[in-house]
Amino acid sequence: MSFPMNSVDNVTVAKSPAEVADRIRSVFGEEAVLEVRERKAGKDDAVGHHDIWAKVEKDRFLDFVDTLAEFDFPQFHVISGNDDGDVVTLYYHFTLFQVAGRGNRLGIAVAVPVNKKDLVMPSIFSRIPGVEYSERETREMFGVDFDGLPNKALVFLPEEWDESIKPWRRDEAGPSANDVRELS
Amino acid sequence: MDKKYKVPIGPVHVGLKEPITAWLDLEGEKIVGATVRPGAIHRGIEFMARDRNPIQVIYLSERICGICSFSHVIAFLRAVEDAASIPVPPRAQYIRSLVLELERLHSHMLWAGVACYTIGFDSAFHLGMALREKVMDVLEVLSGNRVNYGVATVGGVRWDVTPELAKTVKQMVKYYKQEFAPFYDVVTADPIAKARLRDVGVLTYEEALRYSAVGPTARASGVRCDLRESSPYEAYGDFGVRAVVPQDYYGKAYGDVFDRFLVRVHEVYQSLDIIEKVIAGLPEGDIMWEKNLNKVLAFLKKAEGTGWASIEAPRGDDTHVVHLKGGDENVTWWKVRAPTYANAVSWPLMFRNNELADAPLIINSIDPCISCMERMLATDSTTGARKVVTRAELLEKCREKTRRLMQNGGR
Repeated sequence: MSFPMNSVDNVTVAKSPAEVADRIRSVFGEEAVLEVRERKAGKDDAVGHHDIWAKVEKDRFLDFVDTLAEFDFPQFHVISGNDDGDVVTLYYHFTLFQVAGRGNRLGIAVAVPVNKKDLVMPSIFSRIPGVEYSERETREMFGVDFDGLPNKALVFLPEEWDESIKPWRRDEAGPSANDVRELS
Repeated sequence: MDKKYKVPIGPVHVGLKEPITAWLDLEGEKIVGATVRPGAIHRGIEFMARDRNPIQVIYLSERICGICSFSHVIAFLRAVEDAASIPVPPRAQYIRSLVLELERLHSHMLWAGVACYTIGFDSAFHLGMALREKVMDVLEVLSGNRVNYGVATVGGVRWDVTPELAKTVKQMVKYYKQEFAPFYDVVTADPIAKARLRDVGVLTYEEALRYSAVGPTARASGVRCDLRESSPYEAYGDFGVRAVVPQDYYGKAYGDVFDRFLVRVHEVYQSLDIIEKVIAGLPEGDIMWEKNLNKVLAFLKKAEGTGWASIEAPRGDDTHVVHLKGGDENVTWWKVRAPTYANAVSWPLMFRNNELADAPLIINSIDPCISCMERMLATDSTTGARKVVTRAELLEKCREKTRRLMQNGGR
């Protein structure tokens, strides 16, 4: 499928966070939406925006991104994550309706556990090219490969880096005590 | 026949977050392709945070960037406050917004000055640096520091706005409303600036969205995105901020360097308005959720959760994600996505079909966290001959183009 590109300056009718959450639940099951968080601010403690926290399995991840695209072209922020023992959990951070005007931003954080026995994620570069640096960073820092990412060169680590060391891993693939120089 | 060259721009200033090398493919003077390679000085700040508690990480996050240090602090704190569900008193939210806008002022003024310097408009550069002193003075009155202010803490701020400070801020706003005019003239009345900046380094609306561009870079391409509007945080919800986009001023967004200049100049006036509203509407009350630091640390040690915050830094959306684990006093993990990280992905698109003389302008146009290019190395791929183009020569090339345009009457 071709990834939709919404060329409207403002999504004229932004869907409510509940509608987006319901759509995610209907496609990926009740347990896919972990939480819908209200973020309040200002003198009146008014709701500034919402964040939806979701979780999907690796093989449903591309479907998840396509489901978001039913609403608007997802603005991609970053991939964060952690080494959680048997899995590396990646959190993809997106925004829907970034351009929908006042108080309409909807953050979507989706957690994807990647088993260490098969550290490969499908790349979303062909859908959202802005993901390039994050996928390359995740690859060099966690050792998670991305299937479909054209440029797999190092991005933040130096040229002479020993690529067997994955700086953010907490197991034997991570830096040993000898690799860390304490400055103070 | 035109010779083909491959030209790297870099290495870069060591003191900044993201030094970047851009390899440009040249046909004669025309740039036909570009590859960007960051990573000359990744400091592993996220890794270092694993051994520090959230209060210590505040001061680490402040040192990510010298110019938008406060933006990183607020993004980090908002992520921590999200993870641990800590409220911030309204007065503290207003003071945070005040400092964020002061920071935007000096960041945009520095940028406007440097952009003028790059096209050989030196008097505007010196004016920009002189003007910027005023806001640095105000920050010094508030915090005692000109950079890395140490103002914010978990659940509030550490320094209050006194009546004297409020008076200083009001004087500053008045001063800028008069003295910033020369930069306004650059984007409205200067034919040379228009000739040098218009249609240079274009990023289209669609590309800005697809490549996840942020901040003034995305807005200059006509994307109506500003987190102060679309997801008001701190006190912004009370001010009715609207994203500054070129189509509202000239009917059309070109997405070029000129539009990036235009957006930033108008945002300076927007920031001045917001600062006036902060001072006028400053609510009474506490400036901290909890004054006792040991209690804060004990609370944070018990807290469990993942927090996410995106705020509108001077250069664009600054995203921080923090995880706190119950029983662990240190930050379990932390991810920082500075705005340049997002905007640098669009650089190769902006370089296409531009002249080498415009490369410094295009690099500067996204306001990268790179203050200077050290040198360039030009390689003649047909003979393998190498020639080092120094920063001074490159700058001279850029200025020569301006002089050429001036002789032709700005056409």
